[in-house]
Amino acid sequence: MAATQMQTDIPTPQDATDTVKKDWPGRWSNMNKFLDRRGPFCDSGFIPGHGEDILLNQCRILVIGAGGLGCEILKNLALSGFKEIEVIDMDTIDVSNLNRQFLFRQSDVGSPKAKVAAEFIMKRVAGVKVSYYYGKIQDKDEDYYLGFHLIICGLDSVEARRWINATLVNMVQDDPERIRVLIDGGTEGFKGQARVIIPTITSCYECSLEMLSKPTSYPICTIANTPRLPEHCIEWASVLQWPKLRENEKMDTDDPIHIQWLYETALARAKEFDITGVTYSLTQGVVKNIIPAIASTNAIVAASCCNEAFKIITNSQPYLNNYMMYTGNEGVYTFTFEHQKKSDCPVCGIQNISVEVKRDITVEDFIDFLKEKPDIQLKKPSLTKASTNEKIYWQSPPFFEQKTRPNLEKKLSSIVEEGDDILITDSSLPISLTVKISYV
Amino acid sequence: MNIDKKTQKYDRQLRLWQASGQLALETSKVCLINGTATGCEILKDLILPGIGSFTVVDGERVDGSDAGINFFLDADKIGSSRAQAVTELLQELNEDVKGYHFVEDPVVLIENQPEYFLQFTIVIATELHEKFLLKLAEILWNAKVPLIVVRSIGFIGYFRIVVPEHTVVETHPENVVDLRIDTPFPAIEKYAKNLDFDSLDDTDHAHIPYVIILLKYLDQWKREHDGNLPKTYSEKKEYQSIIARGKRTIDEENFGEALTNAWKACTPNKITREIQEILNDPACENITTKSSSFWIIARAIRDFVTNEGQGLLPLAGSVPDMKSDTTGYITLQTIYRQKAKEDAAAVRARVNDILISIGRTTDFIREEEIDSFCKHAAYIKVIRYRSLQEEYISDPKKSEINRWIQDPQENIIYYVLIRAIDRFYESHQRYPDAATFFNGDNSEEAASEESTTEFKELKTNIQSMLEEWKITNSPEHLDDFIHEMCRAGGSELPNIAALMGGLVSQEAIKLITHQYIPINNTIIFDGVKSTSSTYVL
Ligand SMILES: [Zn+2]
Repeated sequence: MAATQMQTDIPTPQDATDTVKKDWPGRWSNMNKFLDRRGPFCDSGFIPGHGEDILLNQCRILVIGAGGLGCEILKNLALSGFKEIEVIDMDTIDVSNLNRQFLFRQSDVGSPKAKVAAEFIMKRVAGVKVSYYYGKIQDKDEDYYLGFHLIICGLDSVEARRWINATLVNMVQDDPERIRVLIDGGTEGFKGQARVIIPTITSCYECSLEMLSKPTSYPICTIANTPRLPEHCIEWASVLQWPKLRENEKMDTDDPIHIQWLYETALARAKEFDITGVTYSLTQGVVKNIIPAIASTNAIVAASCCNEAFKIITNSQPYLNNYMMYTGNEGVYTFTFEHQKKSDCPVCGIQNISVEVKRDITVEDFIDFLKEKPDIQLKKPSLTKASTNEKIYWQSPPFFEQKTRPNLEKKLSSIVEEGDDILITDSSLPISLTVKISYV
Repeated sequence: MNIDKKTQKYDRQLRLWQASGQLALETSKVCLINGTATGCEILKDLILPGIGSFTVVDGERVDGSDAGINFFLDADKIGSSRAQAVTELLQELNEDVKGYHFVEDPVVLIENQPEYFLQFTIVIATELHEKFLLKLAEILWNAKVPLIVVRSIGFIGYFRIVVPEHTVVETHPENVVDLRIDTPFPAIEKYAKNLDFDSLDDTDHAHIPYVIILLKYLDQWKREHDGNLPKTYSEKKEYQSIIARGKRTIDEENFGEALTNAWKACTPNKITREIQEILNDPACENITTKSSSFWIIARAIRDFVTNEGQGLLPLAGSVPDMKSDTTGYITLQTIYRQKAKEDAAAVRARVNDILISIGRTTDFIREEEIDSFCKHAAYIKVIRYRSLQEEYISDPKKSEINRWIQDPQENIIYYVLIRAIDRFYESHQRYPDAATFFNGDNSEEAASEESTTEFKELKTNIQSMLEEWKITNSPEHLDDFIHEMCRAGGSELPNIAALMGGLVSQEAIKLITHQYIPINNTIIFDGVKSTSSTYVL
């Protein structure tokens, strides 16, 4: 693997003796039973007796996210014997994290998650080095990601996961040496999943985009004219009233005073229409799009991710191929299966996507169609005609946006002929895809 | 209004089990037997959401291997009391939770002072072997205190819930729809009847809630068909086309919703078999001073069904969102809510009568509890568990195990192994522990005599167990699984400990809060294949 210069902050533990503290007798005895002994299900690459020295000491693992999953992942990796870990997270600690993010205390509220988590692990588990980066994954380049053996991702953001997935797939460039395994975990209430992605070999995150449940959205006309649910009143307050009444102020959903204003505004509207059920907590839930989260599910999914990492690195058991779904609200249910690679996946596929649209569709409607299409779901697509490089519509830079804006009203068929390819890019994702157009 | 600190801290979980679930958690007392890595992970995931208190009962001293795999220990604690050491570090997780430790061998406590365990809301036992486990299970069973038995060996995790009965009102089904289209109650029937579709302008017509559309046309159908609902396929199709003909324009969304829901609307609303079984249960029939509030309310509901309910459960009272203008929707919602209130009042009156008849005061059951029961009546759940005594001694599930064990997709083989390992432990006071599987091509690896004996002995244990259960077909690849268990040597792996921590804490939370549906009764997780299986054993 490529030796890479790391530009990260490696904190010095407060108690310097921690890092030099020698392993004590029996420390690794549990793990060594598996690392020193062959088993009937072992991977063929397994060599007994080499686990602790060769695999664990020289392996570098990157953990993306120091939240509910991240705290668990860091603990599990450190206890499993991984010695070099790095963690990235751009968030600071909030009081609502404390019900599950067990490396944080009340006094840590406001501090960077990555820093507090890294320091806690080093304080508790002797001899492990956890470096951290307090910032975005997008700040880092391919060389940085190549510097790790394996990457475990415990994020709650779809966007960030699409970004890291596409980055790791693009990074391979037909060179198997550049493959870095990605283990991805996710949770929502009592549900979650763990999966192993071997870029370009197995199905990737983008291949399974259609499996994501669609976020609830409320039509503007309902919010404005015929509210029925408390959620409609809250959306009215945040989407319509805030821009109107507090025009020059940016809404900050972490600011309790802002939430209070939205709550009161929504409540007044609800009263006017006899709608019940607007509460402070619901207001917060709707405007921040809060997903319920508990310690148990995080523990299950993170442990499953780390179990796979341990098996992959040590060859001590076969690893997951490639997806485990978990549901815990009614009994305990897991579904383990091989998610299939999609040949027309925008990230790892080899085949172009073909779409059929109506002949009279406008460029603007076509862009909306791309945003909505479950297997594409782009945020801000920019369109270029592949055969001529003609810009159909570009979201940025502003100069091109302005120049191509008049095209939005035009019919797509006046620019792109039947069977032509459109090149689509999105500034928020390292993705470019080619779409073949046919009209019906 | 300002939100207090505790509500902020627990916000993400309150959205799953609300204040009532949180209150149950905060008043619970959890006992952990043995401060193993798995046990501490379970406690961690219970302390974080805020149980009332936890107590670790453990007579062991911390050794090097404990300190290696347990996050709530470190090297400085080697040689000190394990109960005390883990309690100290677990306590740091949540200042709202009280932590206690009891330095005593649980086995001695079970022998000499078993009533000690009756003070807890729930007892979780790790690393407790068959003989004392059975004894503890019996004591707790008689006192109706839930017990969760947990084992974690190598890549395998196992747990079993033991309690005579567990009842759940708030099962949290994903979609609760109870609209009574086929059997409308008078208020909604009248409202639908009085709404004259023809007199509405186009905007209003496009905003009639689909419930009213269904009721209107079903009423028309019934009048033309001697009061019968559409039954056959073609009748249902006909009903759908009558609705479709009512559309004024092609894109009236409300009519679209009506068509989507038409099929369900003409399926007669009946009490499901599962709920009927609960209502017919002897516990519902024979109400005494010992009856729990669950059974008292269930009985009141049963009486409601046969009287004012006219064969139906109390109405849930919620209305899903649908295309409608505000007034139309709110009116509809009010009609359903009003009827639900009337039903709940009738049930409340019956509950009070029952309470008085058994000599209790009416404040024994809170109004909110009755209201919630009425709301969830169609989804309540009763689980009667089998005792450990039945499973191990008087009535093992021989034929089921025989059937499951033939399927390589099942994890039941590990159940057999865990039970056999327990027998091995009983005779040796240690786990089978040796490298027994070798790569034939590699001359450096060779079986030692010791490892051959270890393998053979565990295999003998398994074979005698299979014989007892009259399982004559030896399961496929049995030797491989034995090798794997000898390799594990009774070890605990941090990842499996953490995973079991998540699963067991989740089930403990369900048992404590009486919300969501716990497993019945055994789970085996296989970390090699990343699969889990549930068995009634
Ligand atoms: Zn893909």
